[in-house]
Amino acid sequence: MSCSADAVKEKLLWNVKKEVKQIMEEAVTRKFVHEDSSHIIALCGVVEACLLHMLKRRAAGFLRTDKVAALFTKVGKTYAVAGEVCKKVQELQQQVESRKNQPNGQEPLKRQGSTTSKTPVLTPQAIKHIWVRTALIEKVLDKIVQYIVDNCSKYYEKEALLADPVCGPILASLLVGPCALEYTKLKTADHYWTDPSADELVQRHRIHGVHGRQDSPSKRPALGIRKRHSSGSTSEDRFAASAREYVESLHQNSRTHLLYGKNNVLVQPKDDLEAIPGYLSLHQSADSLTLKWTPNQLMNGTLGDSELEKSVYWDYALIVPLSQIVCIHCHQQPESRWTLVLVSQDGTQRPPLHFPQGGHLLAFLSCLENGLLPCGQLEPPLWSQQGKGKVFPKLRKRNSNRSVDLEEMPAEDTSTDYVFRIIYPGHKHDNTVTINYHHLAASRSASVDDDEEEEDKLHAMLSMICSRNLTAPNRMKDTSEMIEMQGFGANLLSWQLEHCSQGSSCLSCSTGSSPYDVPSCCNCIHDRTPLKMLCDSMKRQIVSRAFYGWLAYCRHLSTVRTHLSALVNHTIVPPDKPSSAAGGLTKEVWSKYQKDKKNYKELELLRRVYYGGVQHEIRKEVWPFLLGHYKFGMAKKEMEQVDEDIALRYQKVMAEWKACEVIVKQREKESHSATLAKFSSGSSIDSHVQRLIHRDSTISNDVFISVDETDSAERDPKGQDDPPFTVVSADVPAAIAAVEPQSVEFDSPDSGLPSSRNYSVASGILSSIDDGQSVSFEDGAEEEASADSERTDPDTSRLQKAKSIVLQSQDSVSEEQLYSQGDYLMDVASVCAASYTIELLDTVALNLHRIDKDVQRCDRNYWYFTADNLEKLRNVMCSYVWEHLEVGYVQGMCDLLAPLMVILDNEMAEHHNAEEILRIARDLVYKVQTLIENK
Amino acid sequence: MAGGEGAGSGAAECREHLFKVLVIGELGVGKTSIIKRYVHQLFSQHYRATIGVDFALKVINWDSKTLVRLQLWDIAGQERFGNMTRVYYKEAVGAFVVFDVTRGSTFEAVSKWKHDLDSKVLLPNGSPIPAVLLANKCDQKKDGSQNPSQMDQFCREGGFVGWFETSAKDNINIDEAARFLVENILANYKSFPNEENDVGKPKLDLDPLKAESKSQCC
Repeated sequence: MSCSADAVKEKLLWNVKKEVKQIMEEAVTRKFVHEDSSHIIALCGVVEACLLHMLKRRAAGFLRTDKVAALFTKVGKTYAVAGEVCKKVQELQQQVESRKNQPNGQEPLKRQGSTTSKTPVLTPQAIKHIWVRTALIEKVLDKIVQYIVDNCSKYYEKEALLADPVCGPILASLLVGPCALEYTKLKTADHYWTDPSADELVQRHRIHGVHGRQDSPSKRPALGIRKRHSSGSTSEDRFAASAREYVESLHQNSRTHLLYGKNNVLVQPKDDLEAIPGYLSLHQSADSLTLKWTPNQLMNGTLGDSELEKSVYWDYALIVPLSQIVCIHCHQQPESRWTLVLVSQDGTQRPPLHFPQGGHLLAFLSCLENGLLPCGQLEPPLWSQQGKGKVFPKLRKRNSNRSVDLEEMPAEDTSTDYVFRIIYPGHKHDNTVTINYHHLAASRSASVDDDEEEEDKLHAMLSMICSRNLTAPNRMKDTSEMIEMQGFGANLLSWQLEHCSQGSSCLSCSTGSSPYDVPSCCNCIHDRTPLKMLCDSMKRQIVSRAFYGWLAYCRHLSTVRTHLSALVNHTIVPPDKPSSAAGGLTKEVWSKYQKDKKNYKELELLRRVYYGGVQHEIRKEVWPFLLGHYKFGMAKKEMEQVDEDIALRYQKVMAEWKACEVIVKQREKESHSATLAKFSSGSSIDSHVQRLIHRDSTISNDVFISVDETDSAERDPKGQDDPPFTVVSADVPAAIAAVEPQSVEFDSPDSGLPSSRNYSVASGILSSIDDGQSVSFEDGAEEEASADSERTDPDTSRLQKAKSIVLQSQDSVSEEQLYSQGDYLMDVASVCAASYTIELLDTVALNLHRIDKDVQRCDRNYWYFTADNLEKLRNVMCSYVWEHLEVGYVQGMCDLLAPLMVILDNEMAEHHNAEEILRIARDLVYKVQTLIENK
Repeated sequence: MAGGEGAGSGAAECREHLFKVLVIGELGVGKTSIIKRYVHQLFSQHYRATIGVDFALKVINWDSKTLVRLQLWDIAGQERFGNMTRVYYKEAVGAFVVFDVTRGSTFEAVSKWKHDLDSKVLLPNGSPIPAVLLANKCDQKKDGSQNPSQMDQFCREGGFVGWFETSAKDNINIDEAARFLVENILANYKSFPNEENDVGKPKLDLDPLKAESKSQCC
């Protein structure tokens, strides 16, 4: 019982620790912790859980519903610091109450003046944890908890966390951190946010200025708005609450960052309505950028009481995630006012936003540009000009490779329009063909009959069908213009076709519509037909993609079936017949088998092992069987016999390679000292190995040269690099016949396309046919062939050269060694020399070196691999390699062996088993290799 | 080695002590690893920076009559936590200052940490809390990096009660170092028992312990 109680305490404490760390991390990374931070709420929660743990009933007496409140009030009676907190909390609670009851907008203002250190609005969670939270914000929570710990017997049962002599003080000391944190980081209200920009402060100020209020800009403006808004309806229904939250969300808060705010931006929500002013804001949260526009009626709460009217305005409000927006159109209106239209991916337009006079649009765009970073950007980007900040770009480029959306007429007309695309350079779409057209007020009358313009128009029409981004300008301009546009009349738009990324031709064009459909389609822009076609073509693409995917899969599957099927054993042993094998080979089954060897089938045992593994305890007994050391069904005597044989063989092998090792070591020492003498700089083991390899190759070198010579003839047909050559060297009449028609093409040496050499050979063939001197031709070809083989195989020749040098130097070295080795050769080598060739010694040395390295690397963290056992591992490995020198040691063999070692812990048995397991591994490798080669 | 077996005064009850011990030092010297090794007998190669502060509890059966609970406070070495973690210094009665023998810069920072420690926490009598210097990662030591006599000299000058070459990885000297520190704490406790954060019931007998003051170690 005490154990589980301790666990509970530990868990509670651990939770507190976690939250403390979270807050610290936030404080460090963000340089401040805001009072509304979710971490504070979380910390309050876990601290409360600790405080409530085993609280005495008497202590929680008079306020049954809120035990924490009861505790704090009680502590407050005897402890002045806690008393202060109680007073503050009561004050706060009264304010919350009165705000609920009094629908009067004046009250919160007064309160703001009186208690400056508190947030004006308490979230529901904050109210829930108001006691602990207030103590924390007042930086006395640690002291109160310490006091409670010191006087725990008054409030807590004996088993409580706070009464625990260990956990209690720790809890109190843990809370010192967060309490100190508030003290240093949250002194004033100015620290709520990370440095609001001057622009933003001004914007906030303006919001309040509209309502004639004079709040300080650093105060959160939410309060007054919320207040008035909720006063609209006496019953606090859900809608009002969510509406209030919405309005509050427009302001700076801990989750989203307000990038831009502008009041009195006009929007015409419906065609038949007048434009209404509202508050435009740009919000950045962790992963998205959102533009919001809210009618003033909602913002300042001057709205009439009628619920209906309110909801109408809610419909007008705009929330536009900028991830959906691809284009931004800016149109200049008279008196330097601007209209901004957002166009989404599917071509739909948002209602235009009318900016008031001044540089607001530019400010908005630069904020937007900043907000899009680092993933996205405006295309074309805004230009930054010294002294003036950001300005609109001035571009007039058509021929540049990079896409340019924007074209400005040379006449530097002030009434220009701009189109910006929002692009995300990191996320490229494969076949994006977009048209961005823009509307130049000045160009409309200028070049109507221009041919180029005509061409452009055609291009535009064509691309329109394929484009993913269709924009229609009908909402941007006044009605008269709309008519013009719909008619596609005399006033041509300057279209610009733009290929993004690879500029690949559009799929829907090639798959679907004929060019004749184009004009009719274009005429129907406003009926959204292109959208439908777009959808159709997308559908087609999706289906075709799915089909090709499936096809590729089938092909792949057939490859696997034909080429790799050899890897699979096709006879399937069922996992559940005759009985389920999921349990594996257990002790009981094994002992049953041992008692009754006759009736137990080997296959049955193997089946169990395959599906369920072997129980760990009996692995030592079973593995020798599985690995073929013992045969299933062997009698005890036979097994002993096997062991004996193996032991004998193992000892013999050990003796053999140990003897060899001695010589190898000796040789190594000498050559090492020789090298040392030669290169006083000192040589590493690696260079030694390299030397070994070199020397190794010197032996095979003689063979290599001779092979090469005889080989050259065989190689000729394989001269893969030189196709014309292949034709020639296959000196069969048929080949000549094949060449003959070709030769007609080579009238002159210079005109020969592939190469002049090819030509000469071909003509050689011709001449040989004419003259009947086939022999001489063949000779020539042969000569050329050998020359060619030399040329195509530069590596080989280089290798040969290098080797001959090595050979020479090796000779001299070995001679030196012969002298220096004098004594040694007399005794040891004279005995063994007969049995060991230099070649063998080299191989052994190399393998030993590799084994030593790998054995040392073997799973060092496992307890079993002490020096003794590693020595054993090495012995087994060396014995194996000694017996299989032709394969040698391959890196990783040790790792295959190591588990065996751990389980069996018997050098000799292992030796045999190692052989088996390594044979299996080798077979598998060969199998895969041949498969790959055949493929 | 067993510390204060001293004159067992009449009281047969078991005495309990709760000592707050700080573990400080530069980033990545192995403070957390030492605590893990000492308290949980674990070692991990994987380095994870401590956020802010952490703590662990070790119970030592000091002798038949004394139980010592060590509250080990693991203070983040990262500079960015700065003063935030220093609030945890208060009421500590002992400290380990750790450096990494493979990184000379961490040794240079030892004085900074010690100074910081002394400026923020003192014993009730106004003297600095006993601090033990740990030369951690000695398993990776290159020969001749520290000269024992130089280290003794450094400890005397720096106000350390002693120093140990430790390795959290190979569990070298960690228990010894802890034991040495506790001896020193108990020696202080003997002179100022009433101020101590003592949780044992009997506060009557004042001199059950006689801790030998060791000046050398390793």
